[in-house]
Amino acid sequence: MEFVTTIGIEIHVELNTKTKMFSGGPNVYGSLPNTNVNPIDMAFPGIMPVVNKKAVEYALKACKALNMSIDETLIFDRKNYFYPDLPKGYQITQQYHPIGSNGYVEINVDGVEKKIGIERLHMEEDTAKQLHYPDYTLINYNRCGVPLCEIVSKPDIHSGKEASLYVEALRSILLYLGISDCKMEEGSMRCDVNVSIAPKGSSKLGTKTEIKNLNSIANVMKAIDFEVERQKQLILTGGVVEQETRRFDEATKQTVLMRKKTGAVDYKYFTEPNIMPITLDHNWVNDIINNLPELPKQRKERYINKLGLSEYDASLLINNKELCEYFENVSSKSNNPKQSANWIIGNVSSILNKENISLSSLKFTSDDLSNLIIMVDKQEISTKQAKEIFDIMNNTGKKPSDIAKESNMVQISDDSSIKQWVKEVLESNPNAIEQYKAGKTNIMGFLVGQVIKKSLGKANPGLVSKIVKEELDK
Amino acid sequence: MSYLDLPISKIHELLVNDKITYQDLIKEALEKAHKYQPTLNLFETIIDNPSFNGLDKSNPLFGIPYVLKDNFSTKGILTTGSSNILKDYVPVYDATVVEKLRNSGAILVGKTALDELALGGTGTNGHNGPVHNPYNLDRQSGGSSGGSVVAVSSGIVPFAIGSDTGDSTRKPAAFNGVVGFKPTWGLISRYGLFPFATSLDHVGIFTRNVLDCAYVFENLAGYDSKDMSSANTIKTQYSKNLDNSLKGKKIGIIKEINDSMSNSLVKDNMSGVISLIKNQGCEVKEFNVDERLLRAILPVYLVISCSEATSNDACLDGIRYGIREEGETYIKSIINTRTKGFSELVKRRFVIGSYCLKAENQEKLFIRAQKVRRLIVDTFNKIFEECDCVIFPASGDVAPLIKGASDDEKLSSKYLIGENHLAIANFGGFPSITIPSGFINEMPIGINITGKCFDDQKVLDIASGIENTLGLKDLVKEVK
Repeated sequence: MEFVTTIGIEIHVELNTKTKMFSGGPNVYGSLPNTNVNPIDMAFPGIMPVVNKKAVEYALKACKALNMSIDETLIFDRKNYFYPDLPKGYQITQQYHPIGSNGYVEINVDGVEKKIGIERLHMEEDTAKQLHYPDYTLINYNRCGVPLCEIVSKPDIHSGKEASLYVEALRSILLYLGISDCKMEEGSMRCDVNVSIAPKGSSKLGTKTEIKNLNSIANVMKAIDFEVERQKQLILTGGVVEQETRRFDEATKQTVLMRKKTGAVDYKYFTEPNIMPITLDHNWVNDIINNLPELPKQRKERYINKLGLSEYDASLLINNKELCEYFENVSSKSNNPKQSANWIIGNVSSILNKENISLSSLKFTSDDLSNLIIMVDKQEISTKQAKEIFDIMNNTGKKPSDIAKESNMVQISDDSSIKQWVKEVLESNPNAIEQYKAGKTNIMGFLVGQVIKKSLGKANPGLVSKIVKEELDK
Repeated sequence: MSYLDLPISKIHELLVNDKITYQDLIKEALEKAHKYQPTLNLFETIIDNPSFNGLDKSNPLFGIPYVLKDNFSTKGILTTGSSNILKDYVPVYDATVVEKLRNSGAILVGKTALDELALGGTGTNGHNGPVHNPYNLDRQSGGSSGGSVVAVSSGIVPFAIGSDTGDSTRKPAAFNGVVGFKPTWGLISRYGLFPFATSLDHVGIFTRNVLDCAYVFENLAGYDSKDMSSANTIKTQYSKNLDNSLKGKKIGIIKEINDSMSNSLVKDNMSGVISLIKNQGCEVKEFNVDERLLRAILPVYLVISCSEATSNDACLDGIRYGIREEGETYIKSIINTRTKGFSELVKRRFVIGSYCLKAENQEKLFIRAQKVRRLIVDTFNKIFEECDCVIFPASGDVAPLIKGASDDEKLSSKYLIGENHLAIANFGGFPSITIPSGFINEMPIGINITGKCFDDQKVLDIASGIENTLGLKDLVKEVK
């Protein structure tokens, strides 16, 4: 039997605003537990929420970048339930009037462009974090009230691969907007995936299961692939898929039952009475959505069409925002995008991978690399010398010009010196001249090599071959 | 010599002329507080070492002692909401009202008892038992701001802060012969007031005359960036602008409400007031309101207030503050804590609220109540197009006896219209003030004046005019 897989994804993204969604409490990851809190975050009796304007701005940016319709009247709702990580006993969210609705992102599945629909984007506040121990549970309220955007896809996704491409595309857009760190491993981006399968041709969707706890994009794919196979086997052996919440177990690469879903929870939603409907200033909204930073898709097109990078190199850079920003610096300073890309994708990346460090830990700066590229372009040093200098830069953090000076590594582009060496080499290699005249022109490489050797590697190879050729052709 | 029986303006005069000091006033207030507490049971906390932060001696509130209902957050001072669940709760922050009064130089000398979490209307349902009416210790203070009103009527302080969700400031004021005012919704920040029903909650003011009320009000009014529901209006000198001339003022009365008063002496008192103000040049016009709308006030109030309360008080789970009862799981711990922490009345209201918010009931209860609320508000806004304000008796009778008080009589179903009509002002956010209008068997009664939103000055003006006409102000009932 053939099955069709249907997948819907809910993504929670923490916005990297300075303060929280409804309070002035600091929004910082990794601080000591329960230090980034104020009375509002802890829900002391009598506190009231105040909407964070920056968070609204960020949500608007996301809506625009995800091609959504924007609701310029903000209305918040209460979602009521008791849970230890929810100090107010309710979460302020946007159940009935999400700020964004009906958008899409584009993904490229094996060379085919596909639009994945987005149902809604709404703002809400994060909950506290629980730390479970065998005999007790600790609560860290630092995360409490951190601004969140929840982005709900339409059920347009049909494989684990599409799902991972969707999450990747979304992550990339949010990163380039600069509104979230999108670190799945730190929880600033969290995915819940709904998976169901149904026999091909069936008009009804199968029973879905929800997978939580996916801490990387690779795991999104692995978890879905496993879950689809599990559901298939279940159906094919006469079983029934039950509505349940499962989690992905990193060690076994399997989805594991967390809990059965016993009827829908009634969250008793009602409009948040502390926040009157807010009519956003239309000009303010326009100002935000018409001044978005360059998005990954536009940037990639620019790299290929304007900077002349290959599709491969462009993608490689775009997919790593940090590296891409580094490239932006180096290429704009050196004014040589192609060489910048080569150095970064080749030499720089290999250091990062080998030493397992981040760009910020490199001993040299992006300006040093730009200067190195400029020195080559100005023919002050040879490419070979540049590689040597790069290694020294990386080990010592010294400036490339200083290294070149210290090692006496200056390329000789002075005609008369080179002419003298060429003359000497030709005089001591009459056979080579004979062979050249007889049509064996590739002997020239040998002669050029001899000249450079004579110059102790400092002669500009381009100039040497030019002069050798001139002399031979005389 | 008792200074705190005097109007604020008189005390102020004595202070600026150095006839007395604020220390004298603190001493007198604390002496009275300790003396009356065993009889009246009005305090949760008496603050024996109050802090004073007076900077501007010209402010009428400079050096004036006051008390605060115990549902306002006070940093470092026990704040119980008169609920067992918060009996040991010491807040870490001050309500905006507290900050403002401190900056104006007023001195907080006590936190007063209320019906638990302000859910109740008798003054009998606090965790420490009933607050007594100084006019008759067997009778109710009224509520939920029971302790605050009694502190003013017994002469402990010249003003007190309460809250008002259905009539919790304005009805107890009538029972105690004092002024009780709740301004337009949004004019006074509610940051730090333990919410009961957010869309209905107001900060309330008790004083013994209308001018004093204007002094306190102008020190409290103003936009607060911590309260998004606070209104951004121009600062107004309500006391300076106060104009007690009644000539040409158009006053509305509602036939169905006046007719519904249970005690005929209350009706007589109202008629008396009407003829007196007519003599002062008021135009009085009678309006008819569909009785079905008036009978709907109680159910609408219960549905909305209980629904919002069940959510607002969900933070009281024993995890971060308040008493905690252990349990095998967090949910069992929360259940045990809340079961032990709340009175039956409060729990009953949470159940009602929760029921009204359930997905299958919300449309026919909660949403419907909002719609009826809108109809009632629209009806009164229409009436306000034809008059400056409406007046009605504040209650159908004098303060009820404590003995036999129904513990769920916040808004009473006994007299469906005549005891619930003050909630109209909460539905619409209307400025509404109760002032004394007379006595029945030595128990005070009052009338209420309600106007349209942001007509606070006009409402205070008319109240001042009627006060002047009746000559009933600065009433203090000394407790023997």
